[in-house]
Amino acid sequence: MRIRWTLSVLGHLLFIVFFLGIWEAASRSSLLDPTFFGRPSGILSYLWKGLIVDRTLWNELGYTLLAAAISFLGGSIAAVVTGLLFSVLPRLHRAAEPYLTLLNAMPRIALAPLFLLWFGLGIGSKIAVGASLSFFIVLSATVAGIRGVNSDHLTLSKALGATQRQIFFKVTLPSAIPVVFSGLRLGLVYSLLGVVGAELIAAEHGLGQTLAYLQSTFSMDGVMAILLLLAGLGLGVTTLMNRLERALLVWQ
Amino acid sequence: MVTMTAIRSTPAIEDRPPAVIDIRELEVRFGPASGSSLLAVDRVAFSIAQGEFVSLVGPSGCGKTTILNLLTGLLQAEVSGDMTVLGKPPKAGNPDIAYMLARDSLLPWRTALGNVEYGMEIRDVPKSVREQRAMELLREVGLGDFANAYPKALSHGMRQRCALARTFALESSVFLMDEPFGALDAQTKLTLEDVLMRLWSSHRKTVVFVTHDLAEAIALSDRVIVMSARPGRIVRDVPIPLPRPRDVRALQKDPHFHELYAQLWALLEYGATDK
Ligand SMILES: Nc1ncnc2c1ncn2[C@@H]1O[C@H](COP(=O)(O)OP(=O)(O)OP(=O)(O)O)[C@@H](O)[C@H]1O
Ligand SMILES: [Mg+2]
Repeated sequence: MRIRWTLSVLGHLLFIVFFLGIWEAASRSSLLDPTFFGRPSGILSYLWKGLIVDRTLWNELGYTLLAAAISFLGGSIAAVVTGLLFSVLPRLHRAAEPYLTLLNAMPRIALAPLFLLWFGLGIGSKIAVGASLSFFIVLSATVAGIRGVNSDHLTLSKALGATQRQIFFKVTLPSAIPVVFSGLRLGLVYSLLGVVGAELIAAEHGLGQTLAYLQSTFSMDGVMAILLLLAGLGLGVTTLMNRLERALLVWQ
Repeated sequence: MVTMTAIRSTPAIEDRPPAVIDIRELEVRFGPASGSSLLAVDRVAFSIAQGEFVSLVGPSGCGKTTILNLLTGLLQAEVSGDMTVLGKPPKAGNPDIAYMLARDSLLPWRTALGNVEYGMEIRDVPKSVREQRAMELLREVGLGDFANAYPKALSHGMRQRCALARTFALESSVFLMDEPFGALDAQTKLTLEDVLMRLWSSHRKTVVFVTHDLAEAIALSDRVIVMSARPGRIVRDVPIPLPRPRDVRALQKDPHFHELYAQLWALLEYGATDK
């Protein structure tokens, strides 16, 4: 087991070194234009400088993470509450559904300029875009989770004489949690996406803003470095959620 | 044994012990209230005495589940006739009734112990009593070592045992069981029938047991009620005079058992081609 794992890590490392080596070599010869593709050594030195020497990247990272966290929390809490409300008031759900579908069908990034106008260049507009994405994802997961409750469980509980309240807390809610959780995982990734997207369009701070600036000055090493950072961030966030889910839902 | 003949729709004989379940002239219709509604159950009548184990057999769609659902008070349908459980009309959540469904319907987020406790929890049995009784029943069905296992880690037969323990933990006086072993393999089924017989003889409940398996019906029951294809009518109410305690496995070699089997089979065939 242990050996297998070491071998697999070694394999990946070898592949990455090989890949970066080819990239570096190609960009040093005339095969790959570093103005368009950057070069690994340049990317690393950009990260080194930004994260360790003058540490300016941390600040931008902080802005992005803060906006993503707030928009995720706000959006998903609102979504779970709305979803639960819908399960208690199915008529409200039926009435609201067409409007929600319409809103959800709008490309949220296209709304970003509007949000910028309403909430300003700062963190407010970023939170709005991120939350508008995560809200709908988590809402539809919550609704699906509640709908997916096993009808045998309901029959059994009713035969036992369970009250509506008991059924809700002892059956409906726990059975919805795994589905809600996968919605939360996706919602978190989309919050991050929304925030970075809005920052790309207009912002004073954040990784997206940095990315836009680097792009406009044709600093491809920097662009690649930020992309790498964003990918790492997404991976970290998903891994964290998976861990949390496994710890919380041992019965699955 | 109690009243093994003349239970069919003949008027009640007054000196019989009071019935736990009494159904008279039951007719059930589904579908639109007027006109084209579907007659599902047609003039069904039977009564079951305290401690009796009665099986209900009949072709698919003849209304067995419908009758159980009516007894639990869960079903809202167009019903005529009379139906009482312990002298009272059925009502949902009646604590005198324990219902066991075909599928185990265990809650996957609860351990085996938690699942056995679930029914008692809904019925407000205090925590300490609940835990102890649940543990006892898990041991009785042979799951003592699996109290803390989640359903995903239990085999099909083990899950059904757990459901059996949950049902018996309720200590209701009337058990309604809808094909509880229907989805099990033959070996596991025999084992669980044994478990059920043991539990039944120590707890002495009144049981209505729906099954498609005639051998199972004979091995377990005091009486087997054979129903016809839809609209479900009673073809015959057959007493099973095999001595108790019964060994479910040994019975398979008993000639009397086979006679009863042939008789029931013929009745079932007759009911299926009735009209
Ligand atoms: N809720 C319902 N609405 C309309 N028709 C129903 C409903 N429930 C049952 N029926 C009809 O009533 C009849 C009896 O159904 P029931 O489920 O009681 O049969 P069953 O004897 O339990 O069959 P099986 O052995 O297949 O479980 C069937 O023909 C079915 O179509
Ligand atoms: Mg049925």
